[in-house]
Amino acid sequence: MNLKEIRKKIDSIDGQILQLLNARMEQVLIANKFKTEIEDTDREKEILDRIRISATGLIQGEFIERIFTEMIQESKRLQNEGFNLIAFQGDHGAYSEEASILWNSRLVPFPCRSFAEVFEGVQSGLYDYGMVPVENTLGGSVDQVNHLLIHADLHVVGAVELPVRHCLLALPDTDHRQIRSVYSHPQALSQCRRFLSRNNLEPVPYNDTAGAAKMLSETRPKRSAAIASRLCAPLYNLEIIKEGVEDIDRNMTRFLVLSKGEAMGEGDKCSIVFATEHKAGTLFNVLRVFAEKDINLTRIESIPNEPGDYAFFLDFEGSDKDRPVMEALADVERMTTQFRLMGCYTERRGQ
Amino acid sequence: MNALRLASLNGDHLGRTIISAGNVRFGEDFVVIAGPCSVESEEQTLKTAQEVKAAGAHMLRGGAFKPRTSPYDFQGLGLQGLKILEKAKQETGLPIVTEVTDPRDVSWVSEYADVLQIGTRNMQNFSLLKEVGKIDKPVLLKRGMNSTLKEWLNCAEYILAAGNPNVILCERGIRTFETYTRNTLDLSIVPAVKETSHLPIIVDPSHGTGRLSMIEPMSLAAMAAGADGIMVEVHCKPAEAMCDKDQAMSPDMFGGLMKKLHILRSSMSKMNGKAMQGSGASNS
Repeated sequence: MNLKEIRKKIDSIDGQILQLLNARMEQVLIANKFKTEIEDTDREKEILDRIRISATGLIQGEFIERIFTEMIQESKRLQNEGFNLIAFQGDHGAYSEEASILWNSRLVPFPCRSFAEVFEGVQSGLYDYGMVPVENTLGGSVDQVNHLLIHADLHVVGAVELPVRHCLLALPDTDHRQIRSVYSHPQALSQCRRFLSRNNLEPVPYNDTAGAAKMLSETRPKRSAAIASRLCAPLYNLEIIKEGVEDIDRNMTRFLVLSKGEAMGEGDKCSIVFATEHKAGTLFNVLRVFAEKDINLTRIESIPNEPGDYAFFLDFEGSDKDRPVMEALADVERMTTQFRLMGCYTERRGQ
Repeated sequence: MNALRLASLNGDHLGRTIISAGNVRFGEDFVVIAGPCSVESEEQTLKTAQEVKAAGAHMLRGGAFKPRTSPYDFQGLGLQGLKILEKAKQETGLPIVTEVTDPRDVSWVSEYADVLQIGTRNMQNFSLLKEVGKIDKPVLLKRGMNSTLKEWLNCAEYILAAGNPNVILCERGIRTFETYTRNTLDLSIVPAVKETSHLPIIVDPSHGTGRLSMIEPMSLAAMAAGADGIMVEVHCKPAEAMCDKDQAMSPDMFGGLMKKLHILRSSMSKMNGKAMQGSGASNS
C-alpha cells in the first residue's frame, strides 16, 4: 500500500459518490411528477432527522446536515428547471443515451431497466419521451422493441441513425497486455470478433454494454476490460485502451423516439403498422398503393403477433400533409384489418 | 544464399515486391518517412506531423517504445504514445510507422500502426521476428549495426517464413572504426540488396550518420543509389527533443531536402528514360 494506490481508491469512491448523487437527482426529478408543490418542509425535516441519526463513524451530524441541506437546495433548483425527461433502456453510457443526446441535448436522459419500463413510463407520463432501438446493420431487427410497438398507444416523434463505435475500456493503469476477458453485450462482442481474436481476448457476455463498463468499475475484476461507448469512460472512471474496435466500421443502429403527443412541425418520414386479412395478395395490394404513388419505402418488417398472424411495419419518405401520402394512407387503412399511423417526423443522422 | 528461399531474388521471386501501407507503395514510389524520434507529447507529435505533411512527407514515424542505451533515458510513452500517433494519423492522413520491441506488444502495436518497425538492436531477436511474421501489417526491418547482408536477409526470411510477405528493409549505418559519424552509412548495400533480393529497401541517414549536416547529402545519395525511400528524423523544435536531438531536422530543413529530392528525382527519371531508350535502340 502506498499513497498512489490509496489515491486511486479515493478517486474510485469519488466516482461512485458522483454516480449516486446523479441517481438521487434523477429520482428527485421523477418525484416531482407526483408532487403538486416543490417545497415540502415536512419531507425536508424527515430527511435531515434520519440522516442525523444514521451518521456513523467519522461522519458527524453537523457536517452531514450541511451537505444534505445543500443537496436539498440543489434538488429543488433542478425540480424548478422544468426539464423534459427521455427514457432509455440500459445504464448510463448506453448507445441509446448517445442517441438521446444526439436527438436533443436539452433533454435529461433517464435510464430504465427494460424496454417495457420505457414504454410504460412514457405512457403513464413519468417520462416525456422514450428512445428505443429498432434495428441494427449487423444485428437486424430488435424484436422486443418491435413487439411492444405493435400495441403501444404512443406516437413516433423522431428517429435517429447512430453510427456505433465501440471502445475497449479498462480500469485506469491497467496493463493492456494483461487483459484476458472482455465483457459486453453479445451483439457488441460479435461485432468485434476479429479484434478480440487478433489480441487473444476472451469474450464474456453481459446484459448490456454500459452495464459491463459499470460492473468493471464497481467490482474491479482482474485482467478484464469492457466494450462500450466512449461516453462510458468518464462516467465510470475508465480508460479508453482502443477506439473503434468493431470489425466493420459502417455499423449503424436506428432508434425511434416515442411520445404520448404527436410530433410538432412537419416531418419528412412516416411510420405505420398494420395487419392484413389472410388472403392471397393482401400485402401485395398494400405495397402497390405506395408504388403507384411513387412513395419510397425505407423499411419493411414483419413481426409475428399471434400464431399465424403478422404485424407489418412500414417506414416511408414523405409528410402526412402531402396529398399523395394522405391518399395512400386512406387507401391502406381501408385495405387492412388493423392500421395505425405511428407518426410523421424528421430523422437525425450521426456522423 | 541458398537458405533464403523467400527473401532472395530467384525462383518465384523474379519481380520486385511492392508493399502497400495506406496510400503509400514501397517498391514503386520513392517513400519519404519523417517524424520525431519519439512521441513526447500530443502537441509535439501533432505539430511535427502537420509540418512534415505540409513539406510533402508520405508517412509519419515516431517511437512509443524506445530501446535506449541507458535504462535511465526516456523509455517512451507506450500505449499513450500509440494513441497520439493514431490521432496524428486521423488529422494528417499520414500512415504510421512505429517500433515494436517486445513480442507481447506486437498484436497491440499493429492495432494502431500501419507499418511495424524492428529496430537495429532487435534485428536478430528471433522470437520477435516470428511474432511480427504472424500479423497482416508490413514490417520495416532495420539492419543490425553489426550485421552482414546475409544475416540481415536471413532475418527477413524469418518474417517471410512465418507467413508475412511484406518486409521492407532499412539501412541505418553499421559500426566501423570511424568515430566522426555515429555509424557508417553503408549505401553500397542498396544495390547489393537489389541484386540479391526482391524486397524494397529504404535508407535512414539520421541514425546512419548521427550528424545533421550529413542528412541531406546522404538522402540525395540514397536516392541516387536506387533506394526505395528514406526515413528521417524531424522535430518541430529540435533543440527540445528528448532523444537524438543532434540528428533531428527542423521542418524548414526538411522542406529544403524535399525540394532537392524532387529535382533529383526528375533528373534521374530523365536519365533512366534516356538509358532505357538507348538500350532499346541497341536491342533493335
